[in-house]
Amino acid sequence: MLGLWKTWKALEAKGIMGINRRNADYVLKYNKRHLYPIVDDKIITKERAIEAGIHVPEMYGVISTEKEIDKLHEIIGGRTDFVIKPAQGAGGDGILVIADRFEERYKTVSGKIISHEEIEHQISSILTGLYSLGGHRDRALIEYRVTPDQIFKSISYEGVPDIRIIVLKGYPVMAMLRLPTRQSGGKANLHQGAIGVGVDLATGVTLSGTWLNNKIKKHPDTTNAVDGVQLPNWHGFMKLAAGCYELCGLGYIGVDMVLDQEKGPLILELNARPGLNIQIANDCGLTHRAHAVEARLAELEAKGVQEDAEERVRFTQELFGHAHPAER
Amino acid sequence: MRSLNLHLKVLITLLVGLGILITAYQIFILGIPVTEDETDDLWNIDAKVEFQANPREPVKLQMFVPPLKQDYVSLNESFISNNYGVSINRADGNRKVTWSARRASGKQTLYYRLVLTKRYSGEQSKAKGPIFRDSIPVEGAEKIAAEALLAPIRQHSADVETFISETIKRVNNSNDDNVKLLLGGDTTTASKAKAIELLLSIAHVPMERVHTIRLASDIQQSPELWMRSFNGEKWLYFHLETGEQGLPADRLVWWIGDGDLVSLEGGKQAQVNFSLNNSEMNAIRLAKLTDENTDAGFLEYSLYGLPLSTQNTFQIMVVIPVGVMLILILRNLGGLQTLGTFTPVLIALAFRETQLGFGIILFTVITTLGLSLRSYLEHLKLQMLPRLSVVLTFVVVLIAVISLLSHKLGLERGLSVALFPMVILTMTIERLSITWEERGGGHAFKVALGTLVAATLAHLLMSVPELVYFVFTFPAVLMIMVGFMLAMGRYRGYRLTELFRFKAFLKD
Repeated sequence: MLGLWKTWKALEAKGIMGINRRNADYVLKYNKRHLYPIVDDKIITKERAIEAGIHVPEMYGVISTEKEIDKLHEIIGGRTDFVIKPAQGAGGDGILVIADRFEERYKTVSGKIISHEEIEHQISSILTGLYSLGGHRDRALIEYRVTPDQIFKSISYEGVPDIRIIVLKGYPVMAMLRLPTRQSGGKANLHQGAIGVGVDLATGVTLSGTWLNNKIKKHPDTTNAVDGVQLPNWHGFMKLAAGCYELCGLGYIGVDMVLDQEKGPLILELNARPGLNIQIANDCGLTHRAHAVEARLAELEAKGVQEDAEERVRFTQELFGHAHPAER
Repeated sequence: MRSLNLHLKVLITLLVGLGILITAYQIFILGIPVTEDETDDLWNIDAKVEFQANPREPVKLQMFVPPLKQDYVSLNESFISNNYGVSINRADGNRKVTWSARRASGKQTLYYRLVLTKRYSGEQSKAKGPIFRDSIPVEGAEKIAAEALLAPIRQHSADVETFISETIKRVNNSNDDNVKLLLGGDTTTASKAKAIELLLSIAHVPMERVHTIRLASDIQQSPELWMRSFNGEKWLYFHLETGEQGLPADRLVWWIGDGDLVSLEGGKQAQVNFSLNNSEMNAIRLAKLTDENTDAGFLEYSLYGLPLSTQNTFQIMVVIPVGVMLILILRNLGGLQTLGTFTPVLIALAFRETQLGFGIILFTVITTLGLSLRSYLEHLKLQMLPRLSVVLTFVVVLIAVISLLSHKLGLERGLSVALFPMVILTMTIERLSITWEERGGGHAFKVALGTLVAATLAHLLMSVPELVYFVFTFPAVLMIMVGFMLAMGRYRGYRLTELFRFKAFLKD
């Protein structure tokens, strides 16, 4: 009992955020329920992002009824690689990634050859809500296939690694790189077994990682060290994430982004209830950082000014970046 | 945000305060028993009146009956008599029943029955009585004897109370010559009362005779004579033999004054027999009975005012918040993962019908089989609605098979599966399989186990009879619970499981 109380006090001192605090002080306070559809439906997210001039994987087309499946040929056109996703899917289910064409057939990333009819069946399943939360009717989204930057090849197993940044009222407060593992089946969700690696907000250099609630230094599949890797175009990621506040209006979100070989940082999706394991990956609690941002907001409000994305990024980078002399 | 917090605090304080106040009022002011096992004594008093009626003469029999303005509440009163008219009149704080008949002959028997209880008496009216009386005139030897007795009594007493008890003690001292003279050789209580009255009257202290019945079952008894006197504030009761003051709790005043218990015209040999017996009665049921017989309508607007069958339903319903609160604690404080908030409570309700042990086995077996069927259907790539329908049908068939098998094996338990648990089972399977798809088998297993644990705990808690009774009788407790739930709504501390989840932080 006493041990638990000590643990409690120690966690509190470190500013570790628990689920109750996240829900009460951040998710419920800053995320208005009626804005949830914006982040739950990937098509709406994408449309909003395009309007706001934020980079997303290019959308080739949307299929929302069975009849529109006939338009698939038209949508694909001459493209050799593309991704088909359910708009409201969760956990990466129902996603079909076509890497190449082979004769009149298609080849998935894992090398399986499938026919056009099979793709149509997959889309039909998406439409009936097979992959959506609660089985609602859904829409299928056909979009650009992201090719991860070479930098990740050494520390990633397979699948597409992504970068998650927690954004509070437009201020990026914490970041991590999510690496799929053999266990996570190529998916980048931490609770499915992916690795989270903390990222220094100021420099974009990776820190140590977390895997199944433990701290790790090496990727379990590739055994390469995960820390000390410089992520390219880091400032681009930060700016992109900070801009998402204006995009969706939700005050506390997790922004998932990828680094495409050609197009640079792209937004994949937004999450209105981002997980808490990012704290283990960064070996740092979220509460203190969130309080600092809230204090800054109150200060700015008193002055009657608002900061733009660039200023917000600079603020958090100065305050939370490990390279900052004050913290060393 | 601060004003919101203040708002919440005020609301919580209000709800909890109100809940505690109402419950305290019910317990301490209305005296509603806190547990169901509490019982109260219920007294059945029968007074049997027998007499020989004179032929060809109208009969009129009057008898005192208890005045009912005491600590006791009458639940039922009946006058059993054939061919007699019955009327009740009140006089001088007494009640008198009059039985009358134009003609009666031979041996007559009349019954008076009173059912009463000690609880839930209404407010006592303020006592009033005389504090002065004129002396009874006495002459000669008696006067000298009385004065000789009074001198030491005055010396040894301080007030009315001590004066009277001293007088009673003196009168009971049969070796005293003065007393012998006053009693004139008659040592019955009645004669003592007369002597005491004489002595007190010389000191201008008024007294009244009080005829009492002892609430004790199965003993032969006749009314015992006591006396009382008003000291300006309240009536003081005295036992005439011992001089002890205060009426014991088991004494019931039958009538007051000098009159005889029975007065009879047109008959002879009137005789009254008392027989008493007591029974115990469930306190809350008794409260309801008294409620009907007194003006206090405090149970009128409680859940006991509902028809019995509705009451039974409500007894289940009022504990649902208790179960929900347990789930809330397990989830938000403990960090136990369950399927939604209400599924465990619903399963706990289903356990009511299946019994716990059997329910757990049934749920595990059916859910496992249902899940494996669903994962098989997964391969067929069916749409949701047809898939759900198949699962539901499968659950029905499965339950039918289990019922049939257990019936053949002589286990009646299997038949206890009602409609309600079946729907819950199907829902659980569907939700569990969604969890399985979204978050993987390990997580689904964890959630299923958490749900089962939470449901079992909730079931155990919700079937504690004392708790059910308490919440049902004092529904204001729900307000206190809402206050707690509101407070939980802004709880920001860690969950128990998080202390382990974030252990990695403490390793360095």
